[in-house]
Amino acid sequence: MNISEIKKLIISSMDADTDTVEVSGKLEEEGVSYNFSNNFADKVRNRLLSAGLTMNREVNFVKYMNFAFYRIALTGVAAIVILLISIFLMEGSISFNSFLGLRDNYDESIVCLLTGN
Amino acid sequence: MINESYKVTEEAELVKASLNGNNDAFGEIVNRYQKMVARTVKGMLGDSVFSEDIGQEVFINLYHSLSEFRGEAKLSTYIQKIAVNLTLNEIKRRKRFFSLFSQKANNEMYEYEIADHETEDRNEASEIVNKALLSLDPKFRIILTMRMLQGYSTKETAEMLNLPLGTVLSRLSRAQEQLKSILKKL
Repeated sequence: MNISEIKKLIISSMDADTDTVEVSGKLEEEGVSYNFSNNFADKVRNRLLSAGLTMNREVNFVKYMNFAFYRIALTGVAAIVILLISIFLMEGSISFNSFLGLRDNYDESIVCLLTGN
Repeated sequence: MINESYKVTEEAELVKASLNGNNDAFGEIVNRYQKMVARTVKGMLGDSVFSEDIGQEVFINLYHSLSEFRGEAKLSTYIQKIAVNLTLNEIKRRKRFFSLFSQKANNEMYEYEIADHETEDRNEASEIVNKALLSLDPKFRIILTMRMLQGYSTKETAEMLNLPLGTVLSRLSRAQEQLKSILKKL
């Protein structure tokens, strides 16, 4: 097939009623073919494996973060409970003042403490 | 290497096996459809290592979305749609990149694509086909790729590109005009 015939074939492929299967077949016979490299499937597989490893790492990170969060949260709750018990044992009650460490202070004395007058 | 027993296996079984983590089955899917993907990607983006990267992306996307494949359409159609979307996204990305540096983004992008393609050794017919493809506006190029390289009918092209049939028909005639003037210069 000469160049002008190939050009005609290309142009004819844009006619709505052309048999496009025939056009693509003829072009393939003329050496118009597209391929990826020989080891394309292996490259895809390698990329999938490396993506899988990255994903596993992300999953592990989230898992460890959750674990760390629960440990910190449980430790915090335990510390608060111990603090409340110790306040109860020392003060005999768990009032807001005792929780803040305020004993016999009146409002005026707090104002004096804060303003210095 | 791909397991020989998968050569005659049906698509549905290959998909099922891939979903169960069988790498050989997925490898067989890649082998079966890589040529079809290459026609779309290289037809649209030119023949270069970047096209091969996009080709790999197509199958990686397929792998991650395989569980969403219901089997209502052919697997080839599903893969082709991924290829079309990724290729059009890449063209948009290139266009944005070139428009950052130049007012004549479109022209420079086509020149870049043609120059990029010229690094490969090809026969005369391939040269003409590729230069014609890459000189076309992307919205016409995708239609030419679907018809001339994949052999899709007008209706199939419209379905593949999610375009109304009327739009495809009008683009066909406009693309043909553009093609004629491009091919005159070649």
